[in-house]
Amino acid sequence: MKLIFEKSIKGRDGYSLPRDLFGDIKIEECLPEYTISKDKKLLSEISEVDVVRHFTKLSKLNYGLDDGFYPLGSCTMKYNPKINEKLASLSNFIYAHPLAPEETVQGCMEIIYDLNKLLCEITGMDEYTMAPAAGAHGELAGILIMRKYFIDRGDVRHKMLIPDSAHGTNPASAAMGGFRVVEVKSNEKGTVNLGELAKLMDEDTVGLMLTNPNTVGLYDEGIEEIEKIIHGKGGLLYYDGANLNASLGIIRPGDAGFDVVHLNLHKTFSTPHGGGGPGAGVIGVKKDLIPYLPTPNIAFNPDQKKYYLSDAGEKSIGMIRAFWSNFAVLLKTYAWILSMGPDGLYNTSETSIINANYVLAKLKKYYKPAYDRYCGHECTVTGREYKKYGVKTLDIAKRIMDYGMHPPTIYFPHFEPYAEETIMIEPPESESKEMLDKFIDIMIKISDEATTKPELLTTAPHNTPIRRTNDALAIKRAILTYDDELKLKDELKYQEKDIDF
Amino acid sequence: MRYIPTTEEQKKEMLKKIGVSSFEALIEGVPQNLRLKNKLNIPEAMSESELEDKIYRIAKKNADFYSMKPLIGAGSYRHFIPEAEKFLLQREEFWTCYTPYQPELSQGTLQSIFEYQSYISRLTKMEVIIPSIYDGASATAEAALMSLRLTHKNKIIVSNLLHPHYRETIKTYLTPHETEIIDLPYKNGLVDMDKLKILIEEDVASIIIQSPNFFGGIENMAKISEIVHSKSILLINVITESMSLGILKAPGEMGADIVAGNAQSFGMDLNYGGPYNAYLGTRKQYIRQIPGRIVGETVDVDGKRVFVMTLRAREQDIRREKATSNICTNHNLNVLAANIFLSLMGTEGLYQISLLNTKSAHYLENLLLQTGKFERVFDCPFYNEFLLKSKDDISSINKKLLENNFVPPLKICEFYQEKNLNNVLLFAVTEVLSRDNLNLVAKILSE
Amino acid sequence: MEERQQMSNKVIENLYYTKSDEWLKVEDDVGTIGITDYAQDQLGDIVYLEKVEKGKKLIQNEILTTIESVKAVSDVKTPLTGEVTESNVKVIEDASIINKDPYGKGWIAKTKIDNEDELKDLMSAQEYSEYRKE
Repeated sequence: MKLIFEKSIKGRDGYSLPRDLFGDIKIEECLPEYTISKDKKLLSEISEVDVVRHFTKLSKLNYGLDDGFYPLGSCTMKYNPKINEKLASLSNFIYAHPLAPEETVQGCMEIIYDLNKLLCEITGMDEYTMAPAAGAHGELAGILIMRKYFIDRGDVRHKMLIPDSAHGTNPASAAMGGFRVVEVKSNEKGTVNLGELAKLMDEDTVGLMLTNPNTVGLYDEGIEEIEKIIHGKGGLLYYDGANLNASLGIIRPGDAGFDVVHLNLHKTFSTPHGGGGPGAGVIGVKKDLIPYLPTPNIAFNPDQKKYYLSDAGEKSIGMIRAFWSNFAVLLKTYAWILSMGPDGLYNTSETSIINANYVLAKLKKYYKPAYDRYCGHECTVTGREYKKYGVKTLDIAKRIMDYGMHPPTIYFPHFEPYAEETIMIEPPESESKEMLDKFIDIMIKISDEATTKPELLTTAPHNTPIRRTNDALAIKRAILTYDDELKLKDELKYQEKDIDF
Repeated sequence: MRYIPTTEEQKKEMLKKIGVSSFEALIEGVPQNLRLKNKLNIPEAMSESELEDKIYRIAKKNADFYSMKPLIGAGSYRHFIPEAEKFLLQREEFWTCYTPYQPELSQGTLQSIFEYQSYISRLTKMEVIIPSIYDGASATAEAALMSLRLTHKNKIIVSNLLHPHYRETIKTYLTPHETEIIDLPYKNGLVDMDKLKILIEEDVASIIIQSPNFFGGIENMAKISEIVHSKSILLINVITESMSLGILKAPGEMGADIVAGNAQSFGMDLNYGGPYNAYLGTRKQYIRQIPGRIVGETVDVDGKRVFVMTLRAREQDIRREKATSNICTNHNLNVLAANIFLSLMGTEGLYQISLLNTKSAHYLENLLLQTGKFERVFDCPFYNEFLLKSKDDISSINKKLLENNFVPPLKICEFYQEKNLNNVLLFAVTEVLSRDNLNLVAKILSE
Repeated sequence: MEERQQMSNKVIENLYYTKSDEWLKVEDDVGTIGITDYAQDQLGDIVYLEKVEKGKKLIQNEILTTIESVKAVSDVKTPLTGEVTESNVKVIEDASIINKDPYGKGWIAKTKIDNEDELKDLMSAQEYSEYRKE
C-alpha cells in the first residue's frame, strides 16, 4: 500500500492550531541561533481526511482478534472486553499527571493498591510491584531481586538454571542479570528432568526459572520435587507466569513454593495486545524478598485513610522505569478480575484446558503430538510427518491463512527430542467450540493437501493481501526508512501495481 | 459468563471426545495437596453496570484532571491530541492484533511502524530507528548497555541533569555489570564543560546527556560532541520532550551516536505515568548491537512492496542469552498512536506547536519575573521548562495554584538537595495553556 | 527468491567433519574450515558472518565466528587448535555464498594445525553422512 509520504501534497495540513500563536514574541528572543534547526523537519503534509483514509485502509490489511481466532500458543490471545477500554479512557485517569500532588490521584493509587492485593490472592504471593512494563521487563526485575537477595546474605552465586523449553526471554533476562545460563534438559515426558536438575543444582546457582505449565503446555508433575531440589541448596524458584491461564483457581505458584512470580497482564488478564504491547509484567514475591522490590510502591496509611508513594528502602533494586507503572494496563486488568470473580477465573482455566485437550484429541491423528499426554491450556503438535512430501511446518502455517485464520505459533518451543517442527496451539476460554471445530477442520483439510497437493502449501498463502515475503532481501537491502528507499530508487524500480494495492 | 462462550453441555461433549469422564482427569498431573481447596478470596463477579459504577466512583477520587491545566512536565507532557488519532487507534485491527510475526496478516501494523521509523529518523537525523522500548528510562538504560557492548569498556559518564528516574534506572540495569558510573556535574543550569573535559578518558564507553535537560536547559550538544569525540567515546543524547524536535536542532546533526527519546508527547495520554513509549536511534554501523524490534522493506513473491520485521537475529527468541536485550513485547500501540499523531501534525503542525510551546513558556517566565516574586536560578537557554526561585514559600504557592485548578509545578528539592535549589520550582508550559491561563497564573502568584 | 537444490546432506570425501557440522580440509599444515551442506540448509538464507580476526589463536572447539541467517544464529567452532592465518573476505561481503557453495567458495577461515593428533577426534565423510542421516 502507498506510504503516507507518497500521498503528501505540499501545503496540505491535518492539524488544528490555537488561534493565538504568541506572534508578539520573537523566537530570537527565546532561543539562541545555535539551538534552532535551520530547516523545518519534513514529515508529511496530509489532510485529516486522507490520514483517516490511510490508516483505515492500513487497518484492513491486518487481522485482529475481533476478526477471529488467534491460536497462538503462549500468547493467550483472549477477548479484550470493551467496557475495560471505556473505563481506562475516563478523563480523570488519562489526564492524571504522574507527579500531580498525591491528594489528587487517590483514585489511581487505590486501583494499583487493590490490584496488588487481588493478584497476591490469585497467585499466593505476598506483595507485587506494578512497575514492570512487560514480561521480559518483569523477568529482569525478578532476576535482579534474586541477585540482590544473595549478595545481601554474603552468598554470591553465578548461575541460573533454565529448562531447554524456556521462552527466549528467560535466558536473555538471566544474562542481563549477570548470570551464566545453565540449560536443564527435559525428560521424555516433556517436563524437567529431575535427575539432571538435581545434578546441576548447587550452591553456586541462584535458582530455576520455570514456566508451569511449560511451553509445550504440560504441567510439571515433578513440581514438588523441583521445589525440594532448588530450595534444598538454598536457591530460589522463579515462576514465568506466561501460562497462568491454566492455573487460575486450580493451583497458585505461591503455594507450589515459587519465590518470585511474573505475570503477563496482556496475556492471562485480557488487556489488548496492540500489535505488540503495551502490556505489563508485574512481579510478585514472597515475604523475604519484599525489601528488594523496585522503588517506589503504593502504600496505604490506615490512620489518614490515604494512599501514598512509599520509598521501598535501601535494599530495593532501585527503579526500572520512569514513574510508577503502566497504569492504563493495570486498570483494565483490575476491571477484568472484578468482572470474572472467583468462579469466572476458575471457569477460565477449566475451559481453556478443555479447549486445548479437545483440539489435541481431534488433531493427533493428523499431526503427531510432541508429547502424547493430556495438556494444560495449550497443546503442541508437530508437522514432522509432512516433511517427506516436501512440506515444512512453515508452509502449513502459511496455508492456514488462506482459510481466513491466523496460524498458531510455529517452531517454538524447539528442543530435542520431540519438540521439533512444532505447532503450538492455545485456544483461550473466549473461543467457542464452533471456532475450535472450524480450526480443526482447516487443519485436517491442510493435512490432506500436504499429501495430495503439497505445492498449494509451499506456495501459500494465496488469499492474503500480500504473499510470502523475501526476508533475506530485507536484511540485505536494509531499507529501514523512507529515505533509505529513496536512496535506492533506481535499483528498486517499483511499478504502480507493486505499491498501490 | 459473557466472555466464555462454552456451555456446561458443550464441556461435557468435549470431555467425551477427549476420552475422559471428568475435567479432573485432565489436571491429574497437578499435585493434589497443592490444589486450591476453596474459591479464591476475591470479590464475586460484578455485572458490567456494577463495574462501571465502581470504577466511576474511584475515578471521582482523582481530581477533575481534564479541566486542570498542568504547569508541570518533568518527563510527562500534556499536549492536545486530535480526536482523529484516538478514533483510528481504536480500530480493532490495530488495537487487538498480535505482534506482526506473520507479515501477510500484519501489513497494517508493519507499514505503520515503517512510516514512524521514517518520521523519527527525519526528526532526529539518525539513520537507524528502533521504534519501541517501554519508556525513556529503560531506553536510556538500553542505550548505556549498548555502548558497553560496542566499546568493550565498563565506565560511563552521566549528566546530573538527566531525569532522576532515568538515572536511577540506568544504575539498576548496570548493577550486574558493575559499571563505574561517573557523575557529570552542572554549572549554570547546563553540563559543566570544564569538568567534562577533565572526566573524558579513553576508558569511558559513553556519555549520557539529556537535552533539553531536566532543568529545561538546552545543552550545546555540538560543542559537547566535539569534546567527547576527541576521544573514542560514544555520545548518547536523551530527549524527554520529543515535541522539542519540531524546532530544535536534531541530535544527529550535532554528533550524537545514540539517541534515546521519550515519545509520550506524540499523541499519548498522561495516564498517571504509563504506558508511554521510547525510541532509540543510532548509526547504521551499530545496527547489530541495537536492541528492540525494527521493520524493513522488501518484496513478496508477486513483487509487491511489503514490510517485515527484520534483523531478528539480534532478538531474544533467536539469540537467547546472547541477545542484545531480553525485550519481547514492547509498546507497539503507542508507536501507532505517535505515528498517527505525527501524520496529522505534519511538517508544519509539529513546527508550529513546538514553536508555540517555546514562546508561551518564555511568556510565562517573563510574566512571573515581572511579579517581582521570582528570580531566575540559572541564565541559560531553555525550551519549554524553566526553573524559578520563589520569594514566598513554594508549598503555599502550589496550594494556591491547585485551588485555582492548576496542576502545580515540580518542587525541584524533591530531586535535588543543593541549597541554592531550595524553594525552586520547575515550570512547564505547553499549548494546552492559553494566554489567559498564563495571565491568571501570574495574577494568582503576584498576590 | 532463489531456488536451492534439494540436497540437504551433500558430503565431500577427503574432508574431516565435526559433530557441530563444520568441515575441515587439510593441505600440508594448513586447515581450511567451513560449514557443511546440512548446516547451511538448516540455517536457511545466511545473511551475515562475524569477521574472523587474523592471528587469533584458538583451541579446539572454541568459537571461530557466528553465522546469522534470517531466522537463526549459529556458532562456528574451530575443529583444531591453531592460529587463524586467513579469513575469507568474500563471504563477509556476501554471506549467501555459504548457502550456494558451502564446500568451495563458501570457506570461512584457514588455520595453522598445532596438533595433528586432534584429527583423530573428527569424523570421516562416511561417518558424518551417517550421523546426519535424517
